[in-house]
Amino acid sequence: MEKNIKYILWSVIGVMLILFLWWLLKDPTNQFVESTPGEDNKGTDSTVVDVVNIGEKFESFGTSTSGLKGTWTRFRGADFDNIVKNSQPLKNSWSGDQPEILWSVELGEGHAGPAIYEGKVYLMDYDEVKREDALRCFSLEDGKELWRRSYKLSVKRNHGMSRTVPAVTPEYVLTIGPRCHVMCVKRETGDLVWGLDMVQQYQTEVPLWFTGQCPMIDGNKAILAPGGTSVMVAVDMATGKVLWETPNPGGIKMSHSSIMPWTFKGKKMYVYSAVGAVLAVSAEGADEGKILWKSTAWNHAVVAPAPVCFPDGKVFLTAGYGAGSMMIQVTPSGTEYKVDVLKEFSPKDGMACEQQTPVLWDGHMFAIQPKDAGPLRNQLVCVSPDDVTKVIWTSGKDGRFGLGPYLIADNKMYVLSDDGTLTMIKPDSKKYVQMAQKKLFDGHDAWGPMAIADGRLLLRDAKTMYCVNISQ
Amino acid sequence: MSDNKEPKSIERRRFIRSGMQMALAVSLGGVAGISFLKATPKDLVWQIDPFKCVQCGRCATECVVTPSAVKCVHAYALCGYCDLCGGYLKPDANARSTAAENQLCPTAAIKRKFIEEPYYEYEIIEDLCIGCAKCVAGCTAFGNGSFHLQIRHNLCKNCNDCAIARVCPAEAFVRVPADTPYLIKGDFTKGGKGKKA
Repeated sequence: MEKNIKYILWSVIGVMLILFLWWLLKDPTNQFVESTPGEDNKGTDSTVVDVVNIGEKFESFGTSTSGLKGTWTRFRGADFDNIVKNSQPLKNSWSGDQPEILWSVELGEGHAGPAIYEGKVYLMDYDEVKREDALRCFSLEDGKELWRRSYKLSVKRNHGMSRTVPAVTPEYVLTIGPRCHVMCVKRETGDLVWGLDMVQQYQTEVPLWFTGQCPMIDGNKAILAPGGTSVMVAVDMATGKVLWETPNPGGIKMSHSSIMPWTFKGKKMYVYSAVGAVLAVSAEGADEGKILWKSTAWNHAVVAPAPVCFPDGKVFLTAGYGAGSMMIQVTPSGTEYKVDVLKEFSPKDGMACEQQTPVLWDGHMFAIQPKDAGPLRNQLVCVSPDDVTKVIWTSGKDGRFGLGPYLIADNKMYVLSDDGTLTMIKPDSKKYVQMAQKKLFDGHDAWGPMAIADGRLLLRDAKTMYCVNISQ
Repeated sequence: MSDNKEPKSIERRRFIRSGMQMALAVSLGGVAGISFLKATPKDLVWQIDPFKCVQCGRCATECVVTPSAVKCVHAYALCGYCDLCGGYLKPDANARSTAAENQLCPTAAIKRKFIEEPYYEYEIIEDLCIGCAKCVAGCTAFGNGSFHLQIRHNLCKNCNDCAIARVCPAEAFVRVPADTPYLIKGDFTKGGKGKKA
């Protein structure tokens, strides 16, 4: 009996030992497969490299005379703030069929915004049938196309094609196309002045969904941010000669954001929210074209909104696709500048934008929250720059506007929803006041920046541009 | 005069054969009838209305089946075939690649395949999907919303007592006819067939 117990014990111990060894040697992760880069079989860029002859083709369709004198000369308007000063009186309410759509024009799929100069509308557009990238000039009076300057280019639809706003002066129109082709033409005639291929010249990496950077004209200079070998360059508007190039040792890339001018403590600079960093380049003096300050603390894969700069040295940065926002403080330190991060937060914790840039009005910022902003998604919100995480008011859960654009004119804020609904709001720092709302058209992805002049509001969805009369 | 009367054994055989044929016909008819009745629209099963779903994640944790019978499905017709896919990549990912650290799906249940510049195809590996809806949230926030959750009826117990439906905060679980048990975006659209959501 005792012998049997011994056998049983030894057997149990043996089994336990085998089980223990099995447990010890078993690799429960041997079925796991490592996820490594390149499993999507992405090869090199197979896109056909075009031989692009910028501005090679010109077509004239007619002439137009207009007594209209209003202008909207670039992205965010003359003062880069999306606010019209000295606007003619605009309607305080809409009734019946107001506001009236005066005309509309079919466009290639995209989000490019128009610029306006004395009765003429300038717009970048891509023609998928002809495979041409074009600067189109329309009459603001009736939408009739007057001329177009174009060039052959291969562009595949990728959530739209054209997405920039031209810059206009009395003499010139400056554009950037989907694949970073810069074109300068005479404003009145459309005559080609010069062209610049930033991919060829500066090894610019064309951003996802194509170029979003809107060109800037400052005096007689075109200011561009190619990334690649030069983070920023200045080009003479009259000749196309490169005046200065800012080296890019940090490998900063072109974003969808646009350069904003800023004068801080008497020093003028160009601020750019790039992919890889935010930086400022001197805009004047002996150090023109040199980087004044830079912060790589701001580094996100997709950046579309422009930086908002404040007189006290604060700069508000925001981006979509989960990035959130950051407030930095720029402080002069001898001949240099110091940059401190004051606050960094997710879209759920404060003001953030995916595509549009916040508008600063009466000491407060207004913006539409992105879709990943939790309960406030797509709502218009108001914050104080002193604490951008504290929302003063929102448009409420019934006031969601998608990713649409907004601007202020005649003390009224106009917000366009993705679906083509235009809302008129009283810009107020204390509460949300909706003045009127109208569904203008069955829109889809109405994200392109709006423009306004002579009481005519130009807005668009993915495929059509509309001119709406909002004047009194 | 000939005798036309068949022998008794043949009659019996015919009787048995006829009886068997009759029984078979009745049973087949019965089965067909029951099947027909089972498949009529009167029978209802649970399904998720993708337009009501708020991607709370409870489908992954509340289902009585492990892993959940709720899976992500992909409406290819709606997909933008983006390089920067909000359903595949983590928000603000360091790189747009298949590296594990960039993938949003906790079980790597989404396979990404390069088509041509600038397009990528995304495929759900259903065996790996746990129905957590992380990809659905990302796709809804940043993309066209082509990823959405559906109860897979080959996995669901169809017990008529859905544990997830009881806790769904958006009341996205609805009863649908058993013969059309899926609400796939693109085919199914809010407000009835043929209408846009």
